[in-house]
Amino acid sequence: MMLLRVPLDGLQWLGGLAGFTLRWLRVASRTRPPLARTLEEAYRIGVQSLPVLLTISVFVGTNLTLQGYNAFVPLGGQRLVGMFVALAGVRELAPLIAAAMVASKAGTEMASQIAVMRTREQIDALEVMAVNPYGHLVTPRLYGILVVMPALSLISVFTTVASSWAVATWQLGLNSATFLEFARTSTRMSDLMTGEVKALVFAVIIALVSCYCGFESEKGPAGVGKATNRAVVVSCVMCVTFNYLVSQALYG
Amino acid sequence: MDDEAPVRLVDVRKRFGDLVVLDGVSFDIPRGATTAIIGPSGTGKSVLLKHIVGLIQPDAGQVVVFGTDMAHAGERSVYAVRKRLGMLFQDGALFDSLSAGENIEFPLRQHHPELSAAERRDRVDEVLQMVELPGLYDRPTPALSGGQRKRVGLARAIVTRPELVLFDEPNSGLDPMTSDAIDALIGHLKETLGVTFVVITHDIVGTINVADHIAMLYQGKLVAWGTRDEVTRADHPIVRRFLGRNLVLPEPGSDDPARLPKIG
Repeated sequence: MMLLRVPLDGLQWLGGLAGFTLRWLRVASRTRPPLARTLEEAYRIGVQSLPVLLTISVFVGTNLTLQGYNAFVPLGGQRLVGMFVALAGVRELAPLIAAAMVASKAGTEMASQIAVMRTREQIDALEVMAVNPYGHLVTPRLYGILVVMPALSLISVFTTVASSWAVATWQLGLNSATFLEFARTSTRMSDLMTGEVKALVFAVIIALVSCYCGFESEKGPAGVGKATNRAVVVSCVMCVTFNYLVSQALYG
Repeated sequence: MDDEAPVRLVDVRKRFGDLVVLDGVSFDIPRGATTAIIGPSGTGKSVLLKHIVGLIQPDAGQVVVFGTDMAHAGERSVYAVRKRLGMLFQDGALFDSLSAGENIEFPLRQHHPELSAAERRDRVDEVLQMVELPGLYDRPTPALSGGQRKRVGLARAIVTRPELVLFDEPNSGLDPMTSDAIDALIGHLKETLGVTFVVITHDIVGTINVADHIAMLYQGKLVAWGTRDEVTRADHPIVRRFLGRNLVLPEPGSDDPARLPKIG
């Protein structure tokens, strides 16, 4: 019975998320996007996530290079390091890193802020003041994250490749031109665009999951903690799953 | 039409699981008067208030506010009703990211685009004056004391000049002096604004002084309903037990707001 409960609870939760999404869509379709608050959110999410995103991207690039180099040297293919990093970074890792960082910084903040508002009756207060909480709380956050996510993904791509190039040329002594040539010819513009589309979908997933976790949280500090935790875990799992499905469809 | 009760409760029933919270509650809240809904904790008072503003729907019965059945009306109609009322939440329900003044200004920004920034500011200053917190516009919300939060919440509730103002436990969590000050403020606003007030409370001693009508709930049922004098002098054993311990009945005219404790 316990084994059955986990998937059933998961399905029920996904049903709740679908209902939440539909309710938000209904509100969003009949109201103008709140431009000022969207840009405010975008700026905040971008500024919040950028330092940690840069740090992680730098070290993902360095480590990919070290591992790629070690794997390719016995085969005599160390020239392929540039290709390996570019393919892994552009197609898979950069959008995922951006998603993970945004989920862990901005997503958790969304969930905890909204959960605290739920606990302190501020969402009820919005309702009583005839302000739709879905429009007021979800719309600017979702649009804000949509604005910055593609940019963050691109920044992650270039940071990963740049740090990889630095390690490859300065530390491992590979030829700079060869590295760049292999990196450039192995990836196409469509790979970059796929990464951008993935980033947009990740943005929607993170915003909706995080806001839903906040809205559905139990009252009290424990509820806030649980909502925050669930937001980052579910966002990451859903992003990784979606990423696999897209990669399977495009490159499988 | 104007004489019609702004809130009509007709056989309202609500249960959460096995727990019956409201068990056939019926009464009309009179226009222009202050109605106190009293009763021990956990007896359904806050749930009743949430029915009035449409946050909770009854299992059976009707909650009619300004002629709109809140349980069956569409979202647009419910929001139209809500624009005509204001509510003070237990902890104020203020937005921490906004200053005290911005919190008060919030409903004006949302629903009165015709007002200029200067007009909104004037209105906020006016209600800050009413709740005896002049000059507090820029104070960050987290820096407000418990009593100030209540008063800023009250200012936000009345800033749009609503016809009906609801108070959810205005005294909860306050020390006796601040609690008295809030009661005095409610009494003063009642005289100044002349709108319909509904006050939910289990701390009856002060609130009863400003009430014109009292409804008493006990275990989900309405056990007493009438004018203040009718209820405070009723023989009902539960009413007597609830009121009896601390209540000193006011002398005629003693609820004059000018004679109530002033905010220190």
